[in-house]
Amino acid sequence: MTDVPPGYHGRYLRVELSTRRASDVPIPPDVLRRFIGGSGLGTWILLQETPDGIDPYAESAPLLFVFSPLVGSPLTTSAKFVVLAKSPLTERINDSLSSSHFAIAGKKTGYDAIVVVGIADEPTCLVIDENGVRYESAGEAWGLSSAAATEVLKRQLGAGFRYAAIGPAGENLVRYATISHDGRHAGRGGMGAVMGSKRLKAVAVRGEATVSYHDANGLVEYSKRLSHESFGPATAKYRELGTAANLLAFNRLAVLPTRNFQSSTFAGAAQLAPEALAVTHEKTRASCAACTIGCEHIYQLGGQQTGVRMEYENLFALGPLCGIAVPDVVLAASQLCDELGLDTISAGASIAFAMECADRGYLAAPELRFGNGDVVLRTLQQIGHREELGDLLAEGTRIAAGQIGYDAADFAPHVKGLEIPGYEPRALQAMALGFAVGTRGADHNRSGAYEVDFSEEYDRLNAGEEIVGPAIEKEDRAALMDSLILCKFLRGVLTDYYEDMAEMLQLVAGFDVTAAELQQTAKRIVTAKKWYNIRQGWTPEEDTLPKRFLTDRLPDDSGPSAGAVLSAERLQALIEAYNVARGWEPTGFVPDRSLREFHLG
Amino acid sequence: MAKRFVPSSIPMPIQVELFGIPRQRAGASEVELDAQDLGTLLVKLGDRFPQLEHVCVEGGRLKQGYLANLNGRQFVSDPETILSNGDAVLILSADAGG
Ligand code: SF4
Repeated sequence: MTDVPPGYHGRYLRVELSTRRASDVPIPPDVLRRFIGGSGLGTWILLQETPDGIDPYAESAPLLFVFSPLVGSPLTTSAKFVVLAKSPLTERINDSLSSSHFAIAGKKTGYDAIVVVGIADEPTCLVIDENGVRYESAGEAWGLSSAAATEVLKRQLGAGFRYAAIGPAGENLVRYATISHDGRHAGRGGMGAVMGSKRLKAVAVRGEATVSYHDANGLVEYSKRLSHESFGPATAKYRELGTAANLLAFNRLAVLPTRNFQSSTFAGAAQLAPEALAVTHEKTRASCAACTIGCEHIYQLGGQQTGVRMEYENLFALGPLCGIAVPDVVLAASQLCDELGLDTISAGASIAFAMECADRGYLAAPELRFGNGDVVLRTLQQIGHREELGDLLAEGTRIAAGQIGYDAADFAPHVKGLEIPGYEPRALQAMALGFAVGTRGADHNRSGAYEVDFSEEYDRLNAGEEIVGPAIEKEDRAALMDSLILCKFLRGVLTDYYEDMAEMLQLVAGFDVTAAELQQTAKRIVTAKKWYNIRQGWTPEEDTLPKRFLTDRLPDDSGPSAGAVLSAERLQALIEAYNVARGWEPTGFVPDRSLREFHLG
Repeated sequence: MAKRFVPSSIPMPIQVELFGIPRQRAGASEVELDAQDLGTLLVKLGDRFPQLEHVCVEGGRLKQGYLANLNGRQFVSDPETILSNGDAVLILSADAGG
């Protein structure tokens, strides 16, 4: 394969678990340039590999682990991989990022991606190393947390492997189960459930394959500069406080979702904030492999040996959203999510939703009340093991609302089935648009439109069509960053976003791409995801928000966001403007000319 | 943002609320300062907390990576932004990702 660009292997590994057959599939060089890697390349592979309208748990449904041209390079924060599949939670495309040594070791197997189809006949660990592919029994690891399972498999397989594994939630097909590697998670959209449906407990990777770089010396120089800049003020928040620093600011701006989105301020925020936690709990810092920022803040939970990673999203979802103001409960709940393999946002939102249902008398669960920490911890266990009420909540809020009935669907906090993260849509209306049109559902990692809300030029409580262009720009940037792949926490360090990325791709892969070409690449990737969804049955009605956000004003005591609401008509106008600006039909369908333009037909 | 002339002799107490890195650096969550416009306020903030100077504020402006918000409602950056008696100015780390 002489025409494989530097930085790539130019092929993916396709593993058939049912027949235990593995094959190499070449990836055309022009595809690599058009979709780059990570999320973009994964979307292209999914489009090739996924039959239309497939059940996410079907034997032929593919599960992808995708690397990128930058993985293994000296570029800071580049040790990332993406897991993609059709989500059992949304029935739409899902791409979840994770980090660290699995990415580096995975690429060293000699592939740009690993595609798994089929269903193993027993709990299995897929092993890929310098000797090829083999299938080890994971019988002893089944039922264990991903961390404990990894320890069992390490003893079984010997040294040198890196693991991505599921916990009990993935085995039990909880629709928002995660895939974990070294305490980090491909968290959203239930990739762990897809893995569990294949009886695949873990993937173990080890290898020695290397790639060349187009300009190795230039890359080293560029990487040194980038690393140096990454120590600067643009990343200070992540280094010193972590993402949890959002909590107090969001509370003050009254955009902090509280008690299942019934309010946007939380009286207990000060107790939960990292500024307070650092005083009451021992804290250490950690980072992914090949990262000079180190945003991970790990808090010690009384009497335990391992610490708990605390991010804004688990803090918000297991704290204010459930009415919990006790730090140790939030830390214990986060730890439980890690052990069970649960997405903290969806888990917290599912419990908060159930609490509101119980408040209204829709669920006969007298203890299920906002603020009851014991019940949160117990319910998480039930969800992970699909016991009692947990069996219903393991389905996510969309399906649970359908089964509960009454008007529960009006306040089930999801878009396309994916639970809404910690940004109140009524008070962050550019973000509301981002949530509504998001291809994987309500998602703050694919749409960075909150940056539009947090800017001087736009009114976050009265968004008009002027926010559409900037919201698209944020979504495009995220799509590109997720394809190179670089950590989004590096974005403040890049001086000229597209120019910087073009330079990195030039140094690594020798692509003579311009900033303008990369802007098109980003649009191609977003459109490819939409095209995938259309092929899986997407309809325009899905691009919306639950009724609560379109009819119920935020309460009068919501400080600067008091009374905020985003009417259905205004949201619809924003969505249509978004679709048109993307070059799609006003309804959101992708016209043939866009498919041709982006080579997606 | 509307601008209006305010005679300089009138005291204008403004509540400054610090979040994230500004709070961390200053070692304080809030401070009351007398200022009639944002630029003056930021100069006084740097005087009051020299550790913020060149980190979060410089010459009456916020450094890149930081935002000011008026009363939790409107993000502002123009040093000439007029402040009113009882206003609260929030100083935040710009990056809200997470
Ligand atoms: S900034 Fe944080 S999430 Fe990003 S690569 Fe570094 S440690 Fe990992």
